[in-house]
Amino acid sequence: MITISGLNKIYNKNKIALNIENQDIDNGIVSIIGQNGAGKTTLLRILSTQLKATSGDAFIDNISVMKEYNKIRKKTVSIPQEAAPIGILTSYEQVYMYLTARGFSFHSAREEANRALKEVGLYNVRNRPTDELSGGMKRKMFVAMALASNADTIFLDEPTTGLDPLSRMEVWSAIKELTGNTILTTHYMEEAEELSKKIYMMDSGNFIGSGTIDELLLPLKGRIRIESREKLDNSYHIGTLYIKYVDSKDLPDYENKYYSIKKITIEDLFIIRGVNLES
Amino acid sequence: MNLKFILTMAWYYGIKTIVRGPSYIIASLSTPLTLLFLVFVLSHGALVKFAVVGGLIAFVGSVGLSGAGDSAFFRLQLRIQDLYISTNIRPFDYMIAFTLSYLVFAMPGIVLYVYLGELYHLFNLYDSVIMVLLMVSLIMTTTSISFMISGSIHHLRNIWGITGIITILTSILPPTFYPYYYVPRNFLYIIALSPTTPAAVIAQGVFGLSPMMNSMVYIMILETAIYLTLARFLVRWREN
Repeated sequence: MITISGLNKIYNKNKIALNIENQDIDNGIVSIIGQNGAGKTTLLRILSTQLKATSGDAFIDNISVMKEYNKIRKKTVSIPQEAAPIGILTSYEQVYMYLTARGFSFHSAREEANRALKEVGLYNVRNRPTDELSGGMKRKMFVAMALASNADTIFLDEPTTGLDPLSRMEVWSAIKELTGNTILTTHYMEEAEELSKKIYMMDSGNFIGSGTIDELLLPLKGRIRIESREKLDNSYHIGTLYIKYVDSKDLPDYENKYYSIKKITIEDLFIIRGVNLES
Repeated sequence: MNLKFILTMAWYYGIKTIVRGPSYIIASLSTPLTLLFLVFVLSHGALVKFAVVGGLIAFVGSVGLSGAGDSAFFRLQLRIQDLYISTNIRPFDYMIAFTLSYLVFAMPGIVLYVYLGELYHLFNLYDSVIMVLLMVSLIMTTTSISFMISGSIHHLRNIWGITGIITILTSILPPTFYPYYYVPRNFLYIIALSPTTPAAVIAQGVFGLSPMMNSMVYIMILETAIYLTLARFLVRWREN
């Protein structure tokens, strides 16, 4: 369990990146979703002791992130956003090296690296320089590091950003192998839906909601999303699109016209929160 | 100190990369070997022993300084440094791991210079021990400098330019390829800020190419301690 208490991060020029009063994050695989700049990465970097908070603290299993960072580092693993492998080294060498940094003996580093690479499906390419691997394989190497470390808590910051759909699915299957509590950030709503039981929503450096997918989608229950390039009454305007939410029973009014009809997803929660309604 | 990590990194990032990326060693060697050739031609062979000894120092110094590019690349581009911050290794371990990697990576170049030294009957066992100590001290100081520089860089592109300037200032300007007594004494003490200067002056003394200048031994010891201490506190690690 992660408990956040009055956590603030203010960068130079008084830019507030994070401003969380109190928030608990449950165990299990959970996602933190939000748009770019919502504060997800800042939060994860503080929780994984890479970045100092300006004020406040957070506790992982009652251990202070700010004061007892050496203890936190022993029980957590953090895979940074857009982390890339050292191309000239193989995936085995990099997982092995990472494990020695975590204090594993040479023998157990070898055993755990091989085990983890097998579990994420990289064992057959473990001796190839990572420059020669696909984008998905490179990301899976980092998941293997997390897997091999046997940490209690794993932070994955946007683990599939920039990957094609097939590679993303490969990484998802690797993430599902993780046994520790996993907190992943993403701005792919389908990724949060696919991987996590509970979702936390962030906006402007603060949490704005949390729950299971069904709980979060409750405000839009029984509705469908209509998209059009022509202006719609009471719609949200994003780029060249007009988006409107209507009751399912009104669906016939929109069928067979030049509308795109879509199922509600978590993405829609951000639309109704973040975009002004046009009358 | 996490010796397991340091040795592993030295093995993988030092030794294994020699086979996988030999062009980097050739690039590091190209400047000192070119200067060796020029010194040979221009001095009609008279200063070639200086250039062999100094070339070795310039080579090791430039390998250590090139670490600035690597460490900035690891921090800003690959985000590997963040990955390691959240393990239990200390920044000093990380830096020493790089240092040792560079030292073993530089081995083929060092061997080439030792061979040249043999050709010119420069080395004996006692001198070689002194030279090894100088090389270790030099790679530690230059890597410390490179980590301090890279930590202050916010945009990766800047590191290549800065490293290029620093490499010239620390490897070629000091008396690595010419006798140190060609330089006015006051200027010699100014350029002694670069650890390659005391290293080159000591080496010239040890190999009997120039009179021994004892003050440079103290400067070298002092600089090694100062640069290592500064790096210990100034290397960018957990961000504020």
